[in-house]
Amino acid sequence: MSKPALDIKAAWMSRELKHDRQLYRAQFSPDGRLVAAAGQDRLVHLWDLASEEPAPNSFDAHRTWISSLVFHPTEKLLFTADYHGIIYCWDYGAELPGPPRWSIPEADRNNVRALLITNDGQHLVSAGDDAIVKVWSTADGRPVTQLKGHKDCVFSLAVSPDGNHLVSGDLLGSIRQWNIADSWKPAREFDARLLHTRGDDFLADVGGVRSLAFRADGQVLAAGGMKEAKSNAFCPGKPTVLVFDWATGVVKNELRIMGKSDGPFNALRFLEDGTVVGHTEILHSNSELTFWQIDQVDPLHSLVSPPAYDLSLHPDGRQLLAACYISGGGTGNGAQKRFEDNYVPNKSALRIFSLYAKPITEEKKTG
Amino acid sequence: MLGMLGGTAGFGSLLQPAIAEKVAKKNKQVCLIWLDGGMSQYESWHPLPESQFAGPFRSIKTSIPGVHFSELMPHSAKIAHKISVIRSMSTKDPNHSTGVPRMQRGDPVNRGVDYPYLGSAVAKLLGPADPELPPYIWIKPGNGGFIHREAGFLGAQYGALALGDGQAPIHIHRPDTISAHHDEARHALRKSANERFKAYRGAAEIDAYETSYEMAQQLMARKDIFDDEKLNPRDRERYGTHPLGRHILRARGLLEAGVRFVKVNSYHWDTHGDNFNMSQRLVPQIDQPFAALINDLDESGMLENVLVIVMSEFGRTPVINSRLGRDHWPDCWSLALAGCGIKRGAIVGETSKDGAWVEGTGYDVGDLFHTIFTVLGIHPRRTKYRHQGQKLAIAHDECRPIEEVML
Repeated sequence: MSKPALDIKAAWMSRELKHDRQLYRAQFSPDGRLVAAAGQDRLVHLWDLASEEPAPNSFDAHRTWISSLVFHPTEKLLFTADYHGIIYCWDYGAELPGPPRWSIPEADRNNVRALLITNDGQHLVSAGDDAIVKVWSTADGRPVTQLKGHKDCVFSLAVSPDGNHLVSGDLLGSIRQWNIADSWKPAREFDARLLHTRGDDFLADVGGVRSLAFRADGQVLAAGGMKEAKSNAFCPGKPTVLVFDWATGVVKNELRIMGKSDGPFNALRFLEDGTVVGHTEILHSNSELTFWQIDQVDPLHSLVSPPAYDLSLHPDGRQLLAACYISGGGTGNGAQKRFEDNYVPNKSALRIFSLYAKPITEEKKTG
Repeated sequence: MLGMLGGTAGFGSLLQPAIAEKVAKKNKQVCLIWLDGGMSQYESWHPLPESQFAGPFRSIKTSIPGVHFSELMPHSAKIAHKISVIRSMSTKDPNHSTGVPRMQRGDPVNRGVDYPYLGSAVAKLLGPADPELPPYIWIKPGNGGFIHREAGFLGAQYGALALGDGQAPIHIHRPDTISAHHDEARHALRKSANERFKAYRGAAEIDAYETSYEMAQQLMARKDIFDDEKLNPRDRERYGTHPLGRHILRARGLLEAGVRFVKVNSYHWDTHGDNFNMSQRLVPQIDQPFAALINDLDESGMLENVLVIVMSEFGRTPVINSRLGRDHWPDCWSLALAGCGIKRGAIVGETSKDGAWVEGTGYDVGDLFHTIFTVLGIHPRRTKYRHQGQKLAIAHDECRPIEEVML
């Protein structure tokens, strides 16, 4: 059956997978059949999308919040990492993974904030609090090399479509390029300092390059975050995407949102027509899933949606997965045991957005 | 006292004579470290890593067996046996605008008056520890000046001399072109003009100006306190070069000089957004200088008589919001106390397993004020303010000292 035509303005939420704890990472498997997600509850959750069963298969994985996960592109391997600097490699081909195939107990001083698999599947790249980008063998977790140069924690990683270049983005707004084909040597630095704020009265640096993505032709790199943070307390800023020309390293455009969200873009994805899509955060309100043509400052389209922390593009290119926040009912400032009998953590909804016109039968089903 | 000093890790012989003299006087002093906005108890004093509301950080062992703090407080963990932590603060106000004054005034029963903040109250009730120094100095980011409103009904003279960024008040150094004789004449002229002005108008603002001038004069005579060249570079490193580190080190100097009450403010702890990235960077900024201060005061013997308090207007919510922040939570939170009649190594307060609620006795700010006044030697019930002919309680009538943390 042929794929429906990509139609961003007709995008609609086609499925929602709910979970009773906050999930910060969610990815489609390379064959598109599974969704893996993780976050606060330390478990890795696997949803079989072919099943009508709403409950995921979940397995005990980490001792703290899971901060990153990534699938191997060709083998049935899932890599997860946590805030204590541990990486696990899981075989997920069976019903539920047994013990991890291997682990790296000290992949970072603290939080492993990003994981990536190189296009050839040979290397796992990790980055996080210790500001060192580390390369490991996907086969056994052996260290391959360390990439030094960042001056503060690294939030984001991306690999160029041709597989030759790795980029890493940090808190201070530095994006560094490493040439994979040339023994991972440092190549150049992109200036994304707009995404970092340190006001005179701030106690900490705010923002950073929270997300990176290449367009399919490799000629454009997008960096997501927020600019002009007003404080280090609420950390409100202006969600922003910087569009870099890969050849020159120059910022071609600065993309903004039209809504009221004030958190960073934690994930960006390019669609096959060159549209870039991101999802941001806001406190106690709805946010938006936003689409841009990269030569336009304002969005092409946006959908109202709860705040979200991760985005994944289905291999069919027609579905987006967003790890969204759902209130558990007790959020907000405390008030003398108002919630004492039912004070529970906030929740998640993994929302799948279909990027084409809703079929008539679906329209009837969903009203 | 000297015998006690000899027993404090062998530092008695290193004691500067001026500090030894202060210690011998047994003057009670206070250092209030105020983390404005509210520090998260989960990311500091009460980590509860197995709780459904835990953050992602590790808990670490402290110097007290079985007691853990967040990994963001490694220095405080090492001095846990020197301090008390109350994990069952249960206060009533979830708002900054009313919570800050409530917590700093101690919430006595409302008698229709504007009660003083703690620093002004102690300045009134104990007076200056050194008559040549202001009794109440407030180290804060931003601008300084004389903040008389903290004194409430006590009157402007009990207000706070605020040191912007911990620096000496501007113009503390008398220009060389003005002789001491001419300077005295200038002050006499100013006083005379003020007296004439006061005879026909309200006195509060004039009193405030007069007090601020007197304090400036006092400090001009003691400007050595602000001579940073005298600081040991190692101390700067131990306290941290960030504002809170510098300000707490300045507070140590003021306490050593004999200031009765020093408040240190740090702003922007209201981590509704990005709480975990921010806590990772903020909490170490109190951990390091707080532990350094406690160690220094302990080693000099001053901790015997100096009360140190680390607190906010409330804690932060167990539930984590949509911006990965924690909101305001007065229902169950933690603070730390040390020195001056406070037990060493007392970790007080039972909570639910997830840390959301106090189980058993919760303590309000009135209980805290009873405790503070008691350890300072001020009877919280017998001592009264007198204002316009009426006696006013200094602390909430229905509260009591928190015995579990008192020697």
